[in-house]
Amino acid sequence: MNVHPLAGHFSVEHSAKRIRQYRYVEERLMRILGGWIALTPEVPAKLVMGRHVWDCAQHADAWGKRLPELREAAHQSEPANEQVVRFMDLLEGREAPGETLERLTGVYRVLKPHLVTTYEHHLKIANAVYEPPTCRILARCLDEERRHVAAGGLILQRLATSESATARIADWEARLRQGLTGAGGITGEGDVAMPDTIDTAGTRPEQDVVILDPAFDAARIEPALAAVLDRHAAAVASADWARAEHDVAADARGNVIGEYARLAVPYRDFEVVALAKIGAFRTAKIRFSGPHGVAVVQVRCRRLDDDWRVVVAEIVRTEPAR
Amino acid sequence: MDRPIAYDKLAREERFVRMRAREVAELKVEQGLPPFPDLASRESMRERVHGIFVGELQAMEGAGRTVYDFPDAPWEFTLDMARQVWDESRHVEIYLRLLDHLDGYVGEFPETTILWRCACAEDAAARVAGVNRGLEGLACDVFNQLIHIAAKIGDPILERAVDFVLADEITHVRMGSRWLNELTRGDPERRKRAIDFQDSIDERFNLGGTRRDGAHDEVSISIAKDARRLAGFTDEEIERLVRSTQRSPVY
Repeated sequence: MNVHPLAGHFSVEHSAKRIRQYRYVEERLMRILGGWIALTPEVPAKLVMGRHVWDCAQHADAWGKRLPELREAAHQSEPANEQVVRFMDLLEGREAPGETLERLTGVYRVLKPHLVTTYEHHLKIANAVYEPPTCRILARCLDEERRHVAAGGLILQRLATSESATARIADWEARLRQGLTGAGGITGEGDVAMPDTIDTAGTRPEQDVVILDPAFDAARIEPALAAVLDRHAAAVASADWARAEHDVAADARGNVIGEYARLAVPYRDFEVVALAKIGAFRTAKIRFSGPHGVAVVQVRCRRLDDDWRVVVAEIVRTEPAR
Repeated sequence: MDRPIAYDKLAREERFVRMRAREVAELKVEQGLPPFPDLASRESMRERVHGIFVGELQAMEGAGRTVYDFPDAPWEFTLDMARQVWDESRHVEIYLRLLDHLDGYVGEFPETTILWRCACAEDAAARVAGVNRGLEGLACDVFNQLIHIAAKIGDPILERAVDFVLADEITHVRMGSRWLNELTRGDPERRKRAIDFQDSIDERFNLGGTRRDGAHDEVSISIAKDARRLAGFTDEEIERLVRSTQRSPVY
């Protein structure tokens, strides 16, 4: 059947309404990503969010500027319905430091793939004669959203290194998909299926991704200090205060052992997870873990009498066992 | 998410060692070291670059929070802050690579959170005055000098990369000047509070006379007058900063 070249799916009003809905999602996602950066520990995840904040801002801006061309006020955002708002609230809610997997899943495995298919669908049905201004914005957003999906996927892949992580991703993805499907998608019209995969070929996601090995390389600790830290941490983990005291400077013993008295000893394992220098001082961060939970202790060391000695110890974090 | 969030919610990987700024400064003074690393050795260069790296990280986090914390601010303001988030994310990558270039590593020196605390001011006008004009102004001083030293020691990698960062920082200061004016238009009290906040940051980052008016290789942090003019600071503001450095107490 021949379709008249001037036949169209959207009225001006309907088109403007959709654009306000797109703007709502892009603007809100921009703010969420911006707010999450400080709450996310992993540097590569922070950086990918940082890069995409600006892209989302530009998408929201482009949509907002298109509105006056459709007889509407500029820069208006409008959620399609209450369920879309609830979906965005749900997505935003995973803000704890240990929930980076959920944050990335929500954005890069649920919302952005859905944006891709929504924009694709719109582009496919938009009229090629009188809607090119909208189509150009759609095409630009599509390119970038595909790249975002690929970049976020790379980071997620690096972070999800265990079966439990994979299970968490699957659970959260299923819950969010249910919310978004219930809303009828971001337009509330239910006309776009939730995609299983997105074609990201040729998107060059590496421009958004900085891969860093997150672990501290213990080989950076000089051998004499490493030996003292190992001996000292083993003594602390087993609550052997007499042995622990041996590595502490004489005038600091009261304070250091007093600080350790607050620990939920014994611990099964310990690991030096960081080491920083301040002139001749070294501050090591030791992570203890055991049946009662986790404790992270910063110990400051200095060379005294030809050997390293602990001069200050401070418990910087404790977490109960899960 | 809370608007704003508490200072101590700033999330870090385990390999970062966080310490109070005063404690770090006291430990350095106790050892006869300058509170702000000079650029006299490769190790002190690395320490300065590491300090800038964590500063850029906190600047990105702070600008991100500004995008989130002020949903009722003018859209153009939000756009500028979103742009700044992107810029800072590139700066983080640049300084990560420069750390590597200097054989350093993430977490080699302690992180302090003064910059982040400045970025948590509750008023948007105070944030742009304190962060975009105060701290990014400081960044202009520090980067301008780093570029000069890099040229002098023949390190074109450092020189070129930091020069591009400086160009961005000048843009951020301009954004700060614009939004300080626009957000406080018709509200002199709010403007005064924002400028007082910026002054307190300038005073703090004079680092007890470490930042001064002088040649790059004669003072620890040299005030970058030309870069500051380009960024929109007036001659009177620059002179005021110079005067404030002369009365800064020793850290």
